[in-house]
Order: sequence, then C-alpha cells, then structure tokens
Amino acid sequence: MGSQKRIAKELTELTESPPEGISVELANESNLYEWKVLMDGPEGSPFHKGKFQLKLVLPTEYPFKPPTVSFVTKIYHPNVTNDDKGSMCLGMLKADEWKPSSRLGAVLQFARSLLEEPMPDDAVEARIAEQYRDDRKRYEEIAREWTRKYAAGS
Amino acid sequence: MKLDQFLAMDVGSDDDGFLDLRALEYISDYDDHLMCPICHCPFIRPVRLECDHVFCQTCLNSAIRSFATGRDGFTCPTCRTPTRDVYLNVPRLLTNMCDEIPVRCPFSNEGCKEIIPRGHIQSHADKYCGYKLMDCPSASCDQRTRKKDLSPEDKCMHELHKCLRCDEDIMEQDYEEHVQELCPSLKTTCPDCQVTVFRKALREHIEACPEAIHPCAASKYGCPIKMKRAALGTHEQSCPLITIGPYFEAQNSRLDSMELTVRHLQQRNEIFEDGLASIRSTLVESSRAFSAHHNNTATNNTNDTPDAPSASNSRSNPRSSSTTTDDSAAPLSNATTYLLSLHESLREEVAQLSHAITDLDARASMAIMNECLRLKEDMAHTNAAVNSVRMQVQWLMNPRLHQGQRAAAAGASTGGQNSGDGRAGSSAAGLLRSRRLSDTGREGTKL
Repeated sequence: MGSQKRIAKELTELTESPPEGISVELANESNLYEWKVLMDGPEGSPFHKGKFQLKLVLPTEYPFKPPTVSFVTKIYHPNVTNDDKGSMCLGMLKADEWKPSSRLGAVLQFARSLLEEPMPDDAVEARIAEQYRDDRKRYEEIAREWTRKYAAGS
Repeated sequence: MKLDQFLAMDVGSDDDGFLDLRALEYISDYDDHLMCPICHCPFIRPVRLECDHVFCQTCLNSAIRSFATGRDGFTCPTCRTPTRDVYLNVPRLLTNMCDEIPVRCPFSNEGCKEIIPRGHIQSHADKYCGYKLMDCPSASCDQRTRKKDLSPEDKCMHELHKCLRCDEDIMEQDYEEHVQELCPSLKTTCPDCQVTVFRKALREHIEACPEAIHPCAASKYGCPIKMKRAALGTHEQSCPLITIGPYFEAQNSRLDSMELTVRHLQQRNEIFEDGLASIRSTLVESSRAFSAHHNNTATNNTNDTPDAPSASNSRSNPRSSSTTTDDSAAPLSNATTYLLSLHESLREEVAQLSHAITDLDARASMAIMNECLRLKEDMAHTNAAVNSVRMQVQWLMNPRLHQGQRAAAAGASTGGQNSGDGRAGSSAAGLLRSRRLSDTGREGTKL
C-alpha cells in the first residue's frame, strides 16, 4: 500500500511543522484515512477567534483520487454547505482538477484562505453568496454571530 | 516506450529479497526536488515523461492504472500534459543524488546502529548487517535469529534456559546478555551513598537514600535549596516558604474556585446574551406586525358603530393576518418570531373581546334590573287599585246583603207551607237571586 506511506509522511510533516492556524491529528489512531483538523479563523475575517473542526477523508486510492474536506463545526460561508455534512467546495478537490502531486498541507492552507476570502462564484450556498456580494455587512454580522455561537472553542 | 509496454514491465519491488526503500527511515531532510510527487519519497528507479516530469517507476505504474479515463487520455500527474510515452533514461545525476541520501539500517530495531547511503543499503542488509533476522537453522523451530547470533554448528538458539539467579526463562541467544546486563539480581551501587544494592531494589533505595540530593519541599514556591535528605529536615524546620506553604495552598484553591465561578458566570452571561438577542429580534418582528395590524383596525373602526368594537376587531383580525403572511415571504428563520408576534396580537384581541363581553353583560343586567323595578312598581299600583275597588264593592254590597238576609228570614216564615209547590213564588225567586249576590260578595272578600 503505497498510499499509507505517503499519508503517514504527510501527517508527520503536518504535525511536526504545522501551517499557521492549522493543527492536524488522526480522528482514530488506527485509521490513517480520516483526519481531524482544527483550524483557527484567520485574522481580519468574521471567523477570527473561532476554532473550526474539519474532517479530512482520504480515499484508499489516494493520491490518485482527491481527498474530501468537510466542516464539522457549523459555519456561515458561501462555499460550505449549511447542513449537517458541512461539505466544502474546493476547486482543486474536484476529481478532474486533482493532481496527485498536490499536498494535503496546501489543501488545508487553501481551505483556510477561503475563510478569509470566499469565492461566491463557486458557491454551494447561493443565498449566502448573494448576501456576500450584495450586503457584505450583514453577511459578516451573521458569520460573526455563528462563529461566536458554534465555534467559540473551549 | 509506449504506456502499454511500460505497464507490462516487471515492477519487481514486491520481491522478498529487496528492501522496500520507501519504508526506510531517512536521516536527513532531502531536497524536495528529489522527491517523487506521488509517494513523497526520494525517487526509486525513476522514469521520465514527455513533459520532463519524473516519477518512481512503481508510482507512475499505479498512476496509469488508476487513471479514470483510461490509458489513452493519460495526463502527467503533475502538469496534466497528455502523455503517451515513458522514457526510462533519467539523468544519472538524479539517481546518484537519490542514492546518496543517508538512511538508517532497517534492522535498527534489532540493534544495528548503521547509517548508510541509500544506494548501499541493499548490500549492507544482504551481506554485512549482523542484525538481519534469519530463519532458525533447526527445521522444527519457526522463530528467527539475528545473523550474528547464529551458532556456527547450526544449533537452534531458541531453547529456554532458566536463569540461575532470577528464575526467569531466557532463550539461549539472549542468555549471555541477560547474565551480564539485564538480570535484576545483579548488584549495583547507589550513585549518592555508594551502598551496594540489588538492581531491582535500586529505585526503592533512591527514594529512601539519606544521601540523595532532594529539593526543599517548598521548591514549588521558590525555595532554591537542594540538599541531602538527612540535612533537609533541619532546613525544612526553618524554611519560611514551608511555613507559608499552607497559605499558598489556600490561595491557590481559592483562585481555582474563583476561576470556576468566573467560567460559570461567563457561560450564563453568554446564555443571557443569546436570549436578549432573540428577544430583540422578536420585538422588531412583532412591532412590524403590529403596525400593519393597527392600520387595519383603525380603518375598520371608523366604519363600524362604536357599540360593537369587539365585532369589528374580530373581523379585522383575519384580514390583517393574511396581509402580514403575504409580507413574510421572507426567510424561514423569521417564521417563528413572526408566528410568536401573531400569537401575541391574537391574544390581545381575545383579551379585548372578553373585556367587551363582560361590559355588555354588565350593561344587560343593569337594564334588566331597571325593567324589573319598574314592573314591580306598576304591579304595586295595580294591587292598590284592585284593593280599593274591592273595598268599594264590599261597601256597596253590604246594604244589599243585609236586605237580602232580612227578606230571606221573612220568606222562610211565609213560604214554609207551600214549599212543596212546583212553582216558586216571586219571593222565592228573589231569595235565590239574593243568595247568589251574597256568594259573589263573599268571593270579593276572599280577594
């Protein structure tokens, strides 16, 4: 299983020198294919001071198939579905855009930058995207309130 | 070379004799450029694509196999250039650099300390490493032995021997090491007091050794003194930090409890804030609903008579609610607050209704009372009139009655002889009439 070695390698890399605001661990010690990611809301975004938990699931065909990223913590964001799945839409994670040479660290950093700067043209929540475009103030207000309510951390 | 030919090549990495180079522990950080983008290891038997991107042979093999759209549409895993050819020749420089990366011997768990360039690790493991695990020469034993422990006369080294000192069962291959280093019955000297103790008792001894250096019990409050246990007792009697220690403890526990309360209060505060926010939003909603509702009732009230305000209210209500529902094609999340406000306004209406009803009730009962009083008065009048009429009738009747009685007494004395006659005399007829009159008179008195 070549994939396990690569995953273990990337996991050690990410735990030893984690990117800013991101920490990674296995959701279950015996399963390399499901990661628990903790992400701090980036400064300057309405998610600042929030602690978001994400789930990163790797397919067994990794790195030939893309991983999936989903938010466990509820978040008010145009690119994250507002249901209990919290699936995240990342362009680079689509099957036809995924490259085996992409690193998970880059994926997570990209996800974090999306918090700072949503991509309303690539949205999964059309209503939030519309609000983001037309009424930025209200969007930030709600996002901040949700962050306070769901991602306050402990 | 075409992709199909490449796939048909023997990958060969799963052969038992070869080490899995990806599983090795790389000692130093290697340059990212030497790393296969698929397995993230330094290239192992690298191959090259048309676009000059390089991958391990096995990695590219599995990349082609797992490619979704089939072999014809295969694109480079790094740059996605469509590719049909694979080149096996990569610059010698690249292979050399990869082979130079130092790795730890795969038998480091068994005790081999060697660190060797990757290019030589295969021959090290095959020929030189004394810690490589070999099958036991005895046919009946399925355990493995380190190469250096193999006995020259091909004897099985896995037989168990009892250690004479500690009663433990030890394999023959480990016996020497056990006797010299590991056996717990071996004696050792305490580093502090130079007393010789059993190795297994050393830990207990150090705990109690009077010569061992220990820090003062108040070291956590800042006492810098470290001295032998024997001398520590005298110090601890005079150490000011020890005497003040309980005070620190109390302060610490107080701080802890305060922190706990603060956390509780913060939580409660948060709950209250949430509640306030929701109340505020409800208020905004309901005030909006009310203003619409009041406009409606105002127009209705001017049309209706003031006698029936409750009726107009009840009629305006469904109209106002229907208009507000049209307005609130707005978000679902507002529905609850909207319903709440509607409920509030309905409740108010009901209160108004009940108020009006009690009002009406009181008014009706007052009117009935008035009517009753009037009727009573009338009846009293009539009664009085009837009474006076009766009095007058009696008064009129009295002389007639007396006259009749007298006539009857006279009639009885004269008509006694011809009472048997069929024809009654005129006096008899008068008697009858007078009786009847007296009867009516008696009835009048009864009244």
